[in-house]
Amino acid sequence: MKNIYHLIVKDIVRFFNDKPAFILTFIVPMLLIVIFGNVFSGKGGGPRGKTDIILVNNSTSIVADLIESKLDTSKSLRMIKKYLPENSNDSVFIDEELAKEFVRTGKIMAAIVMPKDFFLDTSSALKFKFYYDPKNEIESAIVQGAMQQTIMTQIPKVMPIIMKRKAINYIGGDSTARFYRDMSRTVTKYFGVDSDSIMQNLTKVDSSSLFSSSSDTSAEVNFMGNIIQFENEQLVGKEITNPGLTRSVGGWAIMFLLFSITGAASSLFEEKQEGTLKRLLCMTVSRADILWSKYIYSTMLGVIQLLVLFVFSWAFFDIDIFSNFFNLMIIIIVSAMAAVSFAMLITSTTKTASQANGVSTLLILVMSALGGSWFPIQFMPEWMQTGSKATMTYWSVEAFLSVLWRNAPLSSVYTNIVVLLVFTVLLNTYSLVRFRNGRVF
Amino acid sequence: MLKIKNITKSFDSITALDNISLNIEKGEFFGLLGPNGAGKTTLINTIIGYLEPELGEVSIDGEVITVENTQLRKKIGYVPQDIALYLELSAYQNLKLFGRIFNLSGNELENKINEVMELVQLSDRKKDTVKDFSGGMKRRINLAVSLLHNPDIILCDEPTVGVDPQSRNAIFEMLHNLNREGKTILYTTHYMEEAERLCSRLAIIDNGKIIAQGTLVDLINMLEQKETIKIQKTAFTQDRIRSISDMGIISEHDFYYELIVNEKFKQHSKTFIRLEEEEIHNEFVQVSRATLEDVFLNLTGRSLRD
Repeated sequence: MKNIYHLIVKDIVRFFNDKPAFILTFIVPMLLIVIFGNVFSGKGGGPRGKTDIILVNNSTSIVADLIESKLDTSKSLRMIKKYLPENSNDSVFIDEELAKEFVRTGKIMAAIVMPKDFFLDTSSALKFKFYYDPKNEIESAIVQGAMQQTIMTQIPKVMPIIMKRKAINYIGGDSTARFYRDMSRTVTKYFGVDSDSIMQNLTKVDSSSLFSSSSDTSAEVNFMGNIIQFENEQLVGKEITNPGLTRSVGGWAIMFLLFSITGAASSLFEEKQEGTLKRLLCMTVSRADILWSKYIYSTMLGVIQLLVLFVFSWAFFDIDIFSNFFNLMIIIIVSAMAAVSFAMLITSTTKTASQANGVSTLLILVMSALGGSWFPIQFMPEWMQTGSKATMTYWSVEAFLSVLWRNAPLSSVYTNIVVLLVFTVLLNTYSLVRFRNGRVF
Repeated sequence: MLKIKNITKSFDSITALDNISLNIEKGEFFGLLGPNGAGKTTLINTIIGYLEPELGEVSIDGEVITVENTQLRKKIGYVPQDIALYLELSAYQNLKLFGRIFNLSGNELENKINEVMELVQLSDRKKDTVKDFSGGMKRRINLAVSLLHNPDIILCDEPTVGVDPQSRNAIFEMLHNLNREGKTILYTTHYMEEAERLCSRLAIIDNGKIIAQGTLVDLINMLEQKETIKIQKTAFTQDRIRSISDMGIISEHDFYYELIVNEKFKQHSKTFIRLEEEEIHNEFVQVSRATLEDVFLNLTGRSLRD
């Protein structure tokens, strides 16, 4: 028993002395729990971020104005109605065509339009046009759901009008009027009540009962479905044969790229430990030669790895990589360069291979979760969405999504490329200073 | 040929090399003997240009070695203390890589690889992965790499650490042959037997300082007592050894005590009479010729293996 106790104590001491093991056991899972907790439970420090959608109100109806004002106060949606054209200081309202263009080019994920005939005098339903880019399927569903929820809250106000119109539609305008008239006369005759107030009560529909019931029968759903009608039009990705994988392949590829490249770059530690690094330096090889060779090799490995993953996805899951192959290659190369600079940063700031392994695993998993490799960043609270833009993963994932999902031209992913190159230059410069100081070898 | 002039190198507050000067002539087999941590590897690293000294300089044939001057390293073959090989590559692939770094190519490289593989007697294992080799075989490949570019000077940093006696002898044989061919060899070790066996001239280093240098005979002659007295370690002698501490310096080893007698007991007869008085009889006592170990003990008051 004593021996078992001593051996357990020994393992505990060893564990707490092994910082990478400690990080991987506690810190990494805790950080991931924080991220997942914020995404899926809404807990952990702030509301989920608002999703931007364009709202175009072409209707002159008071009901449309009512719904627009309600959508403006939505907690989950942010209505965009104006934009600032290039070379102009004044914002202008977005019309329907421009809204479609913005969705098509990926500037926004959806647009809702209340057309001119949104709620005409004879309408018994609210008819919306919904243009969307389902690059993120779940997000599209969430947006539609949020919109319906918001609009529903306005239904009680509109319900009497709708009910009246529905009655007129079903039994005809004359018959309805005659029914109300006859009914009020009968009540007045037998109960001596003022006929005008009877008429008022008869035409007033108590809509609150529709929403107070918790049972959501199919009849009610159908009824509500008839009242709110979305005319959906998918503007992007209709021709994509495997939308699910097309959306996610870039994210997974970039995460595994970071793992493999960090491993390749931190092999400097192994070479240092084995003595081969010193042997090379004692030959005609300079430190710069070693760093350049490591950088070029790691970049090549990264490019080949990404290429193989995309070709594999094309061969087995029909992901279209060839329609926009040139741009895809540009993103692959820039992403690989950024990943290598990240790996060099890890190598230059840690002291041992196991330390590099622990720190890189922590950062890669956090960057992948934050940067959109696992789920769309729109699920996160706004502060997290802001933080995700500080990760290179975000810019790579978004760029891959643009070139694969909407065949985006280079100009559309220009910002992503520049940001990734800035990452590359900054991280490499810092690593180089560390290497020059002889902190690593 | 190899001139080390007033080299000083520190790591934080520790002075690893303290004003070291050595002059190694062409064709010499020079030994650098010292205990672990004495500064041998730091000196080798400075000679090879891996470390930059704070003071002093190292030159080969008058040309100063610096960290930046990588071309001068072509004159040096460095045999590191570690097995500095890519273990997942074959012996041939390792040699090819390091040969190419020294600008060897084509037939010249192939011939050189064959030549060094023959020298280290591993021609038949050329294509085998290094990780499958025994410790001694790895050491021999480690040596072979340093000979590829036909260097003038070979720096051996404790090249026999952890090697079985057979491989050790093979390495000694190879180094002897290379020296006979005219190569200058600087050999560091903490085994005085190796230094005595191999080196024509020696320097003893301790705490970053050269405390003595010369031929083996020169160094032994530094001792007043050219012979040492070894007293077998038994339960009885362990009790008695303190009583003879006035006779000279006593060092304790695994199986014996070594006594370097002082002036008063220079004559054997006096020594033996005194030992008899302490009942340390002849069967416990052996007289042997002084070694480098004794020189080191004499100079530092410590054993080489302390």
